[in-house]
Amino acid sequence: MLHNKNEDYIASVNNYVSGFNDNSFRKLAGKDFKSWPDPLEETWRLSRLGTLARKKIEPIKINFDKSVKSNLNTIGSNIIKFFDGAYREDISSKLPIGVSLKELNETESLSYLSKIKNTNLKNHPSTNASLSCTPSIIKLSVDKNTKILDLIEIHYEGGEESLSVHPVLFIELNENSSLSIIERFNHLGSLIMPLQLIDIKDSASLNSIKIFDDNHKSYNLSAHCVFLSQKSVLNSFSLVKGSQFTRSETHAYLNGKNSKLNLNGVYISGDKQHHDLTTAIYHNVPECVSKQSVRGILGGESTGVFQGKVRVAPNAQKTDGQQMSKAILISDKASANAKPELEIYADDVVCAHGATVGELDDDQLFYLSSRGITKDKARLMLIKAFLKDIINESVEEALHDFIFKEAQFSLSSILKNDLVV
Amino acid sequence: MSLLEIKKARLKLDNKNILNGVSLSVNAGEVHAIMGPNGSGKSTLSYMLSGREGYELESGEILLDGQSLSEMPADERARSGLFLAFQYPVELPGVGAMSFLREAVNSRRKFIGKEEFDHLAFVKEARKEASKMFVKDEMLKRAVNVGFSGGEKKKFEILQMAMLKPKVSILDETDSGLDVDALKIVSDGVNAQRSDDNAIVVITHYQRLLDYIVPDFVHILSDGVIIKSGGPELALEVEKNGYAGMINAA
Repeated sequence: MLHNKNEDYIASVNNYVSGFNDNSFRKLAGKDFKSWPDPLEETWRLSRLGTLARKKIEPIKINFDKSVKSNLNTIGSNIIKFFDGAYREDISSKLPIGVSLKELNETESLSYLSKIKNTNLKNHPSTNASLSCTPSIIKLSVDKNTKILDLIEIHYEGGEESLSVHPVLFIELNENSSLSIIERFNHLGSLIMPLQLIDIKDSASLNSIKIFDDNHKSYNLSAHCVFLSQKSVLNSFSLVKGSQFTRSETHAYLNGKNSKLNLNGVYISGDKQHHDLTTAIYHNVPECVSKQSVRGILGGESTGVFQGKVRVAPNAQKTDGQQMSKAILISDKASANAKPELEIYADDVVCAHGATVGELDDDQLFYLSSRGITKDKARLMLIKAFLKDIINESVEEALHDFIFKEAQFSLSSILKNDLVV
Repeated sequence: MSLLEIKKARLKLDNKNILNGVSLSVNAGEVHAIMGPNGSGKSTLSYMLSGREGYELESGEILLDGQSLSEMPADERARSGLFLAFQYPVELPGVGAMSFLREAVNSRRKFIGKEEFDHLAFVKEARKEASKMFVKDEMLKRAVNVGFSGGEKKKFEILQMAMLKPKVSILDETDSGLDVDALKIVSDGVNAQRSDDNAIVVITHYQRLLDYIVPDFVHILSDGVIIKSGGPELALEVEKNGYAGMINAA
């Protein structure tokens, strides 16, 4: 088959699924992977995939006999490990009572596919490529009326140069359950395409932290699809610091009254990194709350993007939707883009958005200087404070120090070029 | 010898003359009050003295304990012993009050050759000083000035003054936004620090503050120059007759 170079990867995905039944979930997903997103398409305009499309990459082939070595330390004792995009029971721990983990069978995978295909993530490259090439869809679920107090850690590692990895997850919180997870992405591979469907049933609540820290040559295109039922809660915080190019895209559907979503994040970017947090929040029923707060710290020649859409359906009265993005540029060559978008079809709502991009605040710098603190030290204090503020607001207290250290590590490396400390 | 010497200070902002040759000499152990109507240049004077960028002198000189400040950035002036209590203290979300205080105090101590406080010793010292100012421990756990009431902000300014032990303190409209009780606490805090080794310049609109912090000298600033100087009775004259009469007479 002849194809132009930009379609190499697409051809290799199609090749990967060629041996499967036409009605299999893989083949159906692969069929829809026809091209990379058009850079003229509004949601991809600020994060173009042209360079990625020209790379020679193919889906990884999993070898479960390969012995694997993890580079990540654990915080607690409940660990789920993915390697090369595949769940590895041999290096994962037992999970607390009330939490179960299983591979979806073909029928269940088809249902997973159809759920995602009913959302606006249906054409996301990670939806189609990852459902085609994933070793299997892994479902993590919490029994109803079960509050899990222990933190569950999910580590994603492995990957190789010129190969793509496809961890696909289904997180289900049954009625009146709760769970806290921390996910860390630390791949070596060239292309990382995590896909997640998160279904939070009535009165259930999920605290989720994601740390994107894949190797600095890689591309991470993450897609998360969230369904919130009545009185359910999702508190989500992302720390984006790895990869050459990370785009984490979340679509959240508030389908039950009084559901609540906090979708916060920080990106710390240096060199020529490109970090993108894209969200779409659909208020489909009345009396739901969504709050987003995103901060960026950019050095070197990096670029940051926050684009967030809030759509309020005609009957979704008493919606409260807030969006705020703030970026600090610490080098002249860094840039940040913020693109909030409100689509409101109901009349009794409170929605607000704001965005700032700039340098540190002069009044704050002067206040610190007037107390004898050197200018560089003052700048460092304010940048750390900018980070600490959002971390403290978004993450449960027990994890403040851990997350702050993770952030500070990247901060030091981007600051050493732009700030003498 | 004077601790603060301002000699014919001139300053322009946006091409407009704001200070038109201010001269003032403040000796150790003295409290001076600078009064003046809105727009007379009071706040500009405080920014100029503390070294805020954009408030550089066009001509003239300032000496702190005999040392010229002209080429000295704000942070170095502060370490050298100049302190500005802000009219509107700035909020610093995410910067803990205790660590901020420690950073500031240790910067100054290091500069003057004193041993820096370690964490524990500092907390002890800060709590001791804070209790004198009726600043609650809980406030020191918060971010600097975030969620502080107007009174708390001003108390925190004076707490910083107490801990930094400056040679010269400039109090810019410290009474603004204070109720009588808070005004008393803040003034007592300032008075407790009056000594033969330091000097205080109080910048204020109203005479009210000077009932609590009684100055040795009062100066009237108008249109960027000091038009009249005298003792505390001058403040009472302002209270009685307003600024207009004095300005016209000058």
